[in-house]
Amino acid sequence: MREKLRTITQLLRNAFGRSIGILLSILAAVMVGSIIMLIEGQNPLEIYWLLIKGALGSQRGLLISLQRATPLIFTAIASTLAFRTGVFNVGVEGQFFIGAICGAFVGYAVKLPMLIHLPLTLAAGFFGGALWAFFPTIMRQKLGVSEIITTIMTNYIATFLISYLTNYPLRHTPTTPETPPVQPTAQLAQFVELSEGTFGKGTQAHVGIFIALLVVIVMYIIFKRTRIGYEWRMVGLSFPFSEFGGINLDRTFIGGMLVSGGIAGLGGAVEILGVWREYKDLFAAGFGFRGNLAALLGGQNVIGSTIAALFYGGMEAGALGLEWSAGVPRQLIDIVVGLIIFFMAAEGMWAFVRRIKWVRGSRAVHRTTEDLEV
Amino acid sequence: MDFSWILDILQRYVFNIANLQGMLRLATPVVLAGLCALITSRAGILNIAGEGMILFGAWFGVAGSYFFRSAWMGLLAAMLSGLVVGGLFALFSLKFRAHIIIMGIAINIFANSATIFLTREVFGVAGAFSDPNIAGLPPIEIPILKDIPVLGPLLSGYTFIVYLAWILVALTYVFLYRTPWGLHLRAVGENPQAAETLGINVQRVRFGAVMASGVFASLAGVYLSLGHLQMFTEQMAAGRGFIGMAVNTFGGGEPVGVFLSSLLFGIVETIGWRLQGERIMPVYFISMLPYLATLAALTIFTLRKQQAKKAALERAAREA
Repeated sequence: MREKLRTITQLLRNAFGRSIGILLSILAAVMVGSIIMLIEGQNPLEIYWLLIKGALGSQRGLLISLQRATPLIFTAIASTLAFRTGVFNVGVEGQFFIGAICGAFVGYAVKLPMLIHLPLTLAAGFFGGALWAFFPTIMRQKLGVSEIITTIMTNYIATFLISYLTNYPLRHTPTTPETPPVQPTAQLAQFVELSEGTFGKGTQAHVGIFIALLVVIVMYIIFKRTRIGYEWRMVGLSFPFSEFGGINLDRTFIGGMLVSGGIAGLGGAVEILGVWREYKDLFAAGFGFRGNLAALLGGQNVIGSTIAALFYGGMEAGALGLEWSAGVPRQLIDIVVGLIIFFMAAEGMWAFVRRIKWVRGSRAVHRTTEDLEV
Repeated sequence: MDFSWILDILQRYVFNIANLQGMLRLATPVVLAGLCALITSRAGILNIAGEGMILFGAWFGVAGSYFFRSAWMGLLAAMLSGLVVGGLFALFSLKFRAHIIIMGIAINIFANSATIFLTREVFGVAGAFSDPNIAGLPPIEIPILKDIPVLGPLLSGYTFIVYLAWILVALTYVFLYRTPWGLHLRAVGENPQAAETLGINVQRVRFGAVMASGVFASLAGVYLSLGHLQMFTEQMAAGRGFIGMAVNTFGGGEPVGVFLSSLLFGIVETIGWRLQGERIMPVYFISMLPYLATLAALTIFTLRKQQAKKAALERAAREA
């Protein structure tokens, strides 16, 4: 009993120590953000208040937050999975786009009953994203080429490829580069449509959030309870050690990276089917990169990344409102989130936290994958 | 068999003065990005923040030039931004022990949103900012040389940064192999523990390398924003920071190698521009060329390196 109590207090202390680090980082970032706003001649308190009110202050704001968070959950989970297997998948951006265009294509070009069509479209997104992750993965595993350069290159190739597709072969109207609309059988219903206008008016929040949460739960179970999840974590911690432990490196590593790309692609398809219902050229750049940031913010674990993605989505929703009302560019949020990550990653900066007696033992404020071969 | 068509094509797309000039111009930001990657990789640091540093350099170049009506002030502002960003990157990743790749990813994304934010707030425009008040860097005509046929147009009349890039390649070589600091830097990169025991301050050397890389990257940025058209465009670095890393890899971490492989990129981009003018294929495929070329070159380079390693192992096995 006493033993159990001690482990519980220990756990609480660790969690407390870690959140102190995160809180201090957020505080520091908010301070720097305030300085920027003061220089711009804005009242920071007012701006932050508007931001929070815009994100959480009304049903509409909450739903917009949810809608903005949905794609970020996918990209954050995709980045987290890759980070955990020891890969810096900064190609989530391109994988998201390829998944979106695959989803859009299967969504409009195929005619099937909804029960088959919708899963097929989602699968197309998943496999599109996985396919886009394939080449960098193989180059990393077979040739030892850093995935950072190759995934960035494939991002650029993806955007140009999609611009070509939406401008020529898949183009629907002569005026704008976009694909034909997705069939109703492949659309993910928005809450407004489901409730016939009584719930969620003026928002595009859609049932895709449930798919996102399903992915979160599945990934959580995989990491906690299954062999493949264990193997992914081991590979991420140490290549030689996992090989010694009898893990099939190629299969585990390549599998992990492909699933990561697939989740990003699935996110792209969900965003198309739920919000846009057709592919507009370059409809919304940056979901992948923000997903990378959310994964870093969430300490590269499934639950943390999900919370970070929800937080990020909320802040984006607030910032969109802010752009309308106060004329503050919404990139301010990306700046503040970037600052939070700088401060969170800077373990040494918060070293004094560790010197306080009751947080000793929670060594790392922020988990890093220090011993990776890159 | 008649092979004259090959010569025709070569002459049309590669070996004529206009194309070679284009190659030297378009290679310049890649050379500088390559030096940025080189100086840090030789100090044993994986610096992926070059992309972000280029963006900041491009933005501050335009801002300095616009507010002081002088391209040189733009250059100065950009270099200062390179020093500051490099210094912060070094401070966080070396002193505060932030994970260097995480830091790099964060800086790149941060630079992207920060420059968009700044463009909107400071200049009040979105997307791109150009203004007649932004002074561009004037072309430099080299006396005597400029009157020599072929060589004159080929080597004279570029903006200052093109020549600066060439000089920096030479200076980096001299620095690495002919000065004690260069020796220290290489020692730190090859074996930091050993360097430490020899009394070299590893931390300080790496700090310096990262700051220098910031300056190189910011010069690449200024070239993009003030070299030809005087404007800042969102995301104008367009992956050059990463192409610089790739160029450093093929160049074997040698200044001259970096220069030569950058020329290769220059020629790929020039051919792209030529093809674009002739409307042979959709422009999107042409825009892909530098990125495809990077992937192809990385693949070929590592495959060959692997083969060489295998051959060396076999030879060793046979001798033993």
